[in-house]
Amino acid sequence: EKTVGGLMYGKRLSSLLQVVFPGELAAEGVIMTKLMQWLFGVSLLAVVWALTAYDLLDLNLPQTYRDVAWPMPAYLLVSFGCYSLAVIGYRVATFNDCEEASRELRMHIKEAREDLRKKGLRF
Amino acid sequence: QATGADQAVGFGLVAFSLLLFAYYSVWVVVLPFVDGDHVLNKYFLPREYSVILPGVAALALLLFVGTFITAVMWKNRSPKKVD
Repeated sequence: EKTVGGLMYGKRLSSLLQVVFPGELAAEGVIMTKLMQWLFGVSLLAVVWALTAYDLLDLNLPQTYRDVAWPMPAYLLVSFGCYSLAVIGYRVATFNDCEEASRELRMHIKEAREDLRKKGLRF
Repeated sequence: QATGADQAVGFGLVAFSLLLFAYYSVWVVVLPFVDGDHVLNKYFLPREYSVILPGVAALALLLFVGTFITAVMWKNRSPKKVD
Protein backbone atom coordinates (compact mmCIF):
# COMPACT_ATOMS: atom_id res chain seq x y z
CA GLU A 1 0.00 0.00 0.00
CA LYS A 2 0.99 3.56 -0.60
CA THR A 3 1.18 4.81 2.98
CA VAL A 4 3.09 1.78 4.18
CA GLY A 5 5.49 1.99 1.28
CA GLY A 6 6.01 5.69 1.87
CA LEU A 7 6.67 5.11 5.55
CA MET A 8 9.15 2.36 4.86
CA TYR A 9 10.91 4.46 2.28
CA GLY A 10 11.05 7.36 4.71
CA LYS A 11 12.54 5.16 7.41
CA ARG A 12 15.08 3.73 5.05
CA LEU A 13 16.03 7.17 3.80
CA SER A 14 16.43 8.61 7.28
CA SER A 15 18.54 5.66 8.44
CA LEU A 16 20.67 6.10 5.32
CA LEU A 17 21.12 9.80 6.15
CA GLN A 18 22.13 8.88 9.67
CA VAL A 19 24.77 6.58 8.29
CA VAL A 20 26.11 9.25 5.98
CA PHE A 21 25.97 12.11 8.50
CA PRO A 22 26.29 10.40 11.91
CA GLY A 23 24.93 12.45 14.77
CA GLU A 24 24.10 15.46 12.67
CA LEU A 25 20.74 14.53 11.23
CA ALA A 26 19.07 12.91 14.20
CA ALA A 27 15.38 13.22 13.31
CA GLU A 28 14.37 16.29 15.36
CA GLY A 29 16.19 19.58 15.51
CA VAL A 30 17.81 19.16 12.12
CA ILE A 31 16.29 22.28 10.63
CA MET A 32 17.00 24.31 13.73
CA THR A 33 20.69 23.47 13.80
CA LYS A 34 21.07 24.18 10.10
CA LEU A 35 19.21 27.47 10.47
CA MET A 36 21.42 28.40 13.41
CA GLN A 37 24.53 27.54 11.45
CA TRP A 38 23.38 29.70 8.56
CA LEU A 39 22.43 32.61 10.78
CA PHE A 40 25.75 32.38 12.57
CA GLY A 41 27.72 32.34 9.32
CA VAL A 42 25.74 35.22 7.81
CA SER A 43 26.02 37.40 10.91
CA LEU A 44 29.76 36.70 11.10
CA LEU A 45 30.14 37.82 7.48
CA ALA A 46 28.00 40.90 8.14
CA VAL A 47 30.15 41.87 11.10
CA VAL A 48 33.38 41.46 9.12
CA TRP A 49 31.86 43.48 6.28
CA ALA A 50 30.75 46.31 8.57
CA LEU A 51 34.12 46.39 10.31
CA THR A 52 35.92 46.70 6.98
CA ALA A 53 33.54 49.00 5.15
CA TYR A 54 33.07 51.50 7.97
CA ASP A 55 36.39 50.89 9.80
CA LEU A 56 34.56 50.47 13.11
CA LEU A 57 37.72 49.40 14.96
CA ASP A 58 39.61 52.53 13.81
CA LEU A 59 42.35 50.45 12.23
CA ASN A 60 43.11 53.24 9.77
CA LEU A 61 42.40 50.99 6.84
CA PRO A 62 43.32 52.57 3.51
CA GLN A 63 40.36 54.32 1.90
CA THR A 64 40.79 52.00 -1.10
CA TYR A 65 40.01 48.91 0.98
CA ARG A 66 36.89 50.54 2.37
CA ASP A 67 35.84 51.56 -1.15
CA VAL A 68 36.15 47.94 -2.26
CA ALA A 69 34.44 46.50 0.81
CA TRP A 70 31.48 48.86 0.80
CA PRO A 71 29.63 47.51 -2.28
CA MET A 72 30.47 43.88 -1.44
CA PRO A 73 26.88 42.79 -0.61
CA ALA A 74 25.69 44.14 -3.95
CA TYR A 75 28.70 42.58 -5.64
CA LEU A 76 27.95 39.14 -4.18
CA LEU A 77 24.31 39.48 -5.22
CA VAL A 78 25.25 40.46 -8.78
CA SER A 79 27.77 37.60 -8.96
CA PHE A 80 25.11 35.14 -7.84
CA GLY A 81 22.72 36.56 -10.43
CA CYS A 82 25.32 36.24 -13.19
CA TYR A 83 26.08 32.66 -12.15
CA SER A 84 22.37 31.76 -12.17
CA LEU A 85 21.91 33.35 -15.58
CA ALA A 86 24.93 31.47 -16.96
CA VAL A 87 23.64 28.14 -15.61
CA ILE A 88 20.21 28.75 -17.15
CA GLY A 89 21.80 29.68 -20.48
CA TYR A 90 24.06 26.64 -20.43
CA ARG A 91 21.17 24.30 -19.63
CA VAL A 92 19.09 25.85 -22.43
CA ALA A 93 21.96 25.46 -24.89
CA THR A 94 22.62 21.83 -23.99
CA PHE A 95 19.01 20.78 -23.48
CA ASN A 96 18.31 17.34 -24.81
CA ASP A 97 15.57 17.69 -27.43
CA CYS A 98 13.93 14.36 -28.20
CA GLU A 99 12.86 15.09 -31.79
CA GLU A 100 12.89 11.44 -32.79
CA ALA A 101 10.64 10.51 -29.87
CA SER A 102 8.38 13.50 -30.63
CA ARG A 103 7.93 12.37 -34.22
CA GLU A 104 7.19 8.85 -33.05
CA LEU A 105 4.63 10.06 -30.53
CA ARG A 106 2.89 12.25 -33.11
CA MET A 107 2.71 9.24 -35.43
CA HIS A 108 1.20 7.14 -32.69
CA ILE A 109 -1.43 9.77 -32.00
CA LYS A 110 -2.28 9.96 -35.67
CA GLU A 111 -2.58 6.21 -35.92
CA ALA A 112 -4.78 6.05 -32.85
CA ARG A 113 -7.05 8.79 -34.22
CA GLU A 114 -7.44 7.00 -37.53
CA ASP A 115 -8.11 3.72 -35.77
CA LEU A 116 -10.76 5.28 -33.54
CA ARG A 117 -12.37 7.09 -36.47
CA LYS A 118 -12.59 3.77 -38.31
CA LYS A 119 -14.44 2.38 -35.33
CA GLY A 120 -16.95 5.20 -35.55
CA LEU A 121 -15.74 7.59 -32.84
CA ARG A 122 -16.26 11.28 -33.63
CA PHE A 123 -14.04 13.96 -32.11
CA GLN B 1 20.84 17.91 -28.83
CA ALA B 2 19.18 21.32 -28.64
CA THR B 3 17.97 23.17 -31.72
CA GLY B 4 20.03 25.98 -33.28
CA ALA B 5 17.87 28.76 -31.84
CA ASP B 6 18.02 27.25 -28.36
CA GLN B 7 21.79 26.98 -28.59
CA ALA B 8 22.11 30.57 -29.78
CA VAL B 9 19.92 31.88 -26.97
CA GLY B 10 21.62 29.71 -24.35
CA PHE B 11 25.19 30.58 -25.23
CA GLY B 12 24.10 34.19 -25.68
CA LEU B 13 22.87 34.16 -22.08
CA VAL B 14 26.15 32.62 -20.91
CA ALA B 15 28.20 35.20 -22.82
CA PHE B 16 26.05 38.07 -21.52
CA SER B 17 26.36 36.95 -17.90
CA LEU B 18 30.13 36.49 -18.20
CA LEU B 19 30.47 39.95 -19.76
CA LEU B 20 28.32 41.52 -17.07
CA PHE B 21 30.30 39.79 -14.34
CA ALA B 22 33.62 40.90 -15.82
CA TYR B 23 32.49 44.52 -16.26
CA TYR B 24 31.01 44.69 -12.77
CA SER B 25 34.11 43.09 -11.25
CA VAL B 26 36.36 45.67 -12.86
CA TRP B 27 34.01 48.43 -11.76
CA VAL B 28 33.78 47.36 -8.12
CA VAL B 29 37.05 45.56 -7.37
CA VAL B 30 39.66 46.99 -9.73
CA LEU B 31 38.62 50.62 -10.15
CA PRO B 32 39.35 51.72 -6.54
CA PHE B 33 42.99 50.76 -7.11
CA VAL B 34 43.23 52.88 -10.25
CA ASP B 35 44.21 56.54 -10.15
CA GLY B 36 41.39 59.04 -10.35
CA ASP B 37 42.61 60.59 -13.60
CA HIS B 38 43.26 57.31 -15.42
CA VAL B 39 41.62 56.66 -18.83
CA LEU B 40 39.78 53.63 -17.40
CA ASN B 41 37.52 55.91 -15.37
CA LYS B 42 35.94 57.19 -18.56
CA TYR B 43 34.17 53.87 -19.14
CA PHE B 44 32.44 53.63 -15.77
CA LEU B 45 29.75 55.59 -13.98
CA PRO B 46 30.49 57.07 -10.54
CA ARG B 47 30.91 54.47 -7.80
CA GLU B 48 27.62 55.00 -6.02
CA TYR B 49 25.81 53.80 -9.13
CA SER B 50 27.44 50.38 -8.73
CA VAL B 51 24.99 49.80 -5.87
CA ILE B 52 22.08 51.97 -7.03
CA LEU B 53 21.73 50.33 -10.46
CA PRO B 54 21.59 46.71 -9.17
CA GLY B 55 19.17 47.88 -6.50
CA VAL B 56 16.89 49.43 -9.10
CA ALA B 57 17.22 46.32 -11.26
CA ALA B 58 16.35 44.07 -8.31
CA LEU B 59 13.31 46.19 -7.46
CA ALA B 60 12.14 46.12 -11.08
CA LEU B 61 12.63 42.34 -11.18
CA LEU B 62 10.69 41.80 -7.95
CA LEU B 63 7.92 44.05 -9.22
CA PHE B 64 7.77 42.17 -12.52
CA VAL B 65 7.74 38.75 -10.84
CA GLY B 66 5.08 39.95 -8.42
CA THR B 67 2.80 41.26 -11.16
CA PHE B 68 3.41 38.13 -13.22
CA ILE B 69 2.45 35.80 -10.37
CA THR B 70 -0.57 37.94 -9.51
CA ALA B 71 -1.71 37.95 -13.13
CA VAL B 72 -1.34 34.18 -13.46
CA MET B 73 -3.14 33.52 -10.17
CA TRP B 74 -5.89 35.92 -11.20
CA LYS B 75 -6.35 34.20 -14.52
CA ASN B 76 -6.37 30.71 -13.01
CA ARG B 77 -8.64 31.44 -10.07
CA SER B 78 -11.21 28.69 -9.93
CA PRO B 79 -14.88 29.49 -9.41
CA LYS B 80 -16.08 28.78 -5.90
CA LYS B 81 -16.92 25.18 -5.33
CA VAL B 82 -20.49 24.44 -4.34
CA ASP B 83 -20.74 21.83 -1.63
